[in-house]
Amino acid sequence: MGKGTAFLEILSSSLHGDYKFPILEFLAFLFLLSSFVFAGFGGFGSTGVPEEYYVFFMTNSLMGLPLFILAMLLLRNIASGIGNDIEKGTIQTILAYPLRRRSILTAKLLSSFGVAIFLFLGIQISALCTLAPEMVASNLLVVLLTYMANLSFALFIASIALLMTLLLRKGSVGVVIGIMVFFLFSILTSLVSFWAHATNSILPMQLYSLVNPSFAINFYYSSLQPQVQVFWTPSFTEALLYVGAGYALTTFILFLSYFYFCRRLNV
Amino acid sequence: MSIVIAEDLFKSYGKVVAVDGLFLRVNEGSVVGLMGPNGAGKTTTIKMILGLMKPDRGHVKLLGQDPWDNPEIRSQTGVVYEKPFFPASEKVLDYLERVCRIFGVSESRALEVLKLVNLDEAFDRTIKALSAGMLQKFAIAHAIIHEPKFVIADEITSNLDPKARSELLDLIDQLHEDQKVTFLLSSHILPELSKVCDAVVVLNKGKVYASGNLSELYDEFVARTIRILTDKPRELVETLRKKLSYVEKADADSQGISIKILKEGTDTVYEDISKLARECEAKILGIETESASLEELYKQVVDSEAK
Repeated sequence: MGKGTAFLEILSSSLHGDYKFPILEFLAFLFLLSSFVFAGFGGFGSTGVPEEYYVFFMTNSLMGLPLFILAMLLLRNIASGIGNDIEKGTIQTILAYPLRRRSILTAKLLSSFGVAIFLFLGIQISALCTLAPEMVASNLLVVLLTYMANLSFALFIASIALLMTLLLRKGSVGVVIGIMVFFLFSILTSLVSFWAHATNSILPMQLYSLVNPSFAINFYYSSLQPQVQVFWTPSFTEALLYVGAGYALTTFILFLSYFYFCRRLNV
Repeated sequence: MSIVIAEDLFKSYGKVVAVDGLFLRVNEGSVVGLMGPNGAGKTTTIKMILGLMKPDRGHVKLLGQDPWDNPEIRSQTGVVYEKPFFPASEKVLDYLERVCRIFGVSESRALEVLKLVNLDEAFDRTIKALSAGMLQKFAIAHAIIHEPKFVIADEITSNLDPKARSELLDLIDQLHEDQKVTFLLSSHILPELSKVCDAVVVLNKGKVYASGNLSELYDEFVARTIRILTDKPRELVETLRKKLSYVEKADADSQGISIKILKEGTDTVYEDISKLARECEAKILGIETESASLEELYKQVVDSEAK
């Protein structure tokens, strides 16, 4: 037995706390239901429109409500898992175990984020493969990029909530900030478009896409429709760069969280 | 060998200074009491020793190493908190078996420690179903499951009834005697420290007021109370008051005299009493030294600092 066992035990304990029956089962049902209910095939079969656009549109529509549920689940897990541990003092007991702080936080995040994302992706991909297996198989890159872009935003929100929870030592406050950021960015989507049109500049869109790369991906795939004129037509490479930037930003916030938890957090 | 070396520790919460230039040493094999009123800085000191909190100034060595984020130290240290923090819905034995796996010890050790703390009958209960006393015993079982060299216990008896308190102290004594575990016990309930500790550290307002073994501290700080049985208490008490400058207080009753003396009179007091008794033709029927309490020691230490 070694550090690996200790890590797995902390992970198992976190899973036990994060997903008490029937939370996981209920979420799986919600993900499944909303994935099928909101799946859209608008415009499928129209002449001249590349298949990539349809796959993007279908993947995006499938993700709408489940992505919101995922974001809320991540926030809830941060509050009830890491936040509660700090507030109630359970973290003091965990820190008495022979594991480095970074391993403890990793175990907690694998439980809070990893399982939720795995469940979300598993159900979504199953739904996609059931609805349009051939289209998905021939456009895997589109599916992958669409998921990566959308997940980047959910992870960005969750990582902000995590950092706030650690800094303020209150899971509930971290979650409220996370929810506020989530809705703020939803409002910003419209505001950024308005601002860009008003100033006749794509800069606001570019800046916003750094945080929410699905915005750029949306413009990229929308621009593939021959009869549609879009205000901003980012190239594929550019769209990829926004996805990369989104993850880089999330990674940076997670790095700050790790740094604070490992080097600064007094409990 | 010193298990804990804390030098010049300072910690504040905003403008409130919790620990102010604290020096502390806990030697291997000892049971040291950290004594002080609520808010004296005991818990903050313990957290800094355990590496749960970084001092603003100064440094701590636990088992010769920096305790912050140090897994090696964790496997040799046990902790018992004032309010134990365990997952409430887990069962007693299941949870301890998990802790065994975390520390890499045999799972059979879980039942072994439950027996040691007399909690084996509650093995199937959930943690939330344990009473306050049982929970503290469980916390001790949790702290010693990996056979640590050193255990820190913070105010572990403060919420317990006298019986549970006494049982816990016996358990600490037993672990110290049988398994040579070094303890650092913090408490503001003084009699319990005197029962198990070899040495105490008196903290107040984040500072160490005094430290050392109990007898040394009593000698240094506590005015001794001596009971003299005599046939002429009224005459003798007057003489003692007049002639012995180190007598702080002297009261007579029908059977004898109780006097409180300062430290400087410790060496000559019996000789002086005999001499003065002869002078006033009083017969000494017996002399007893009353043992000072830890409360008295604490009061004297704090009073002497205030002066």
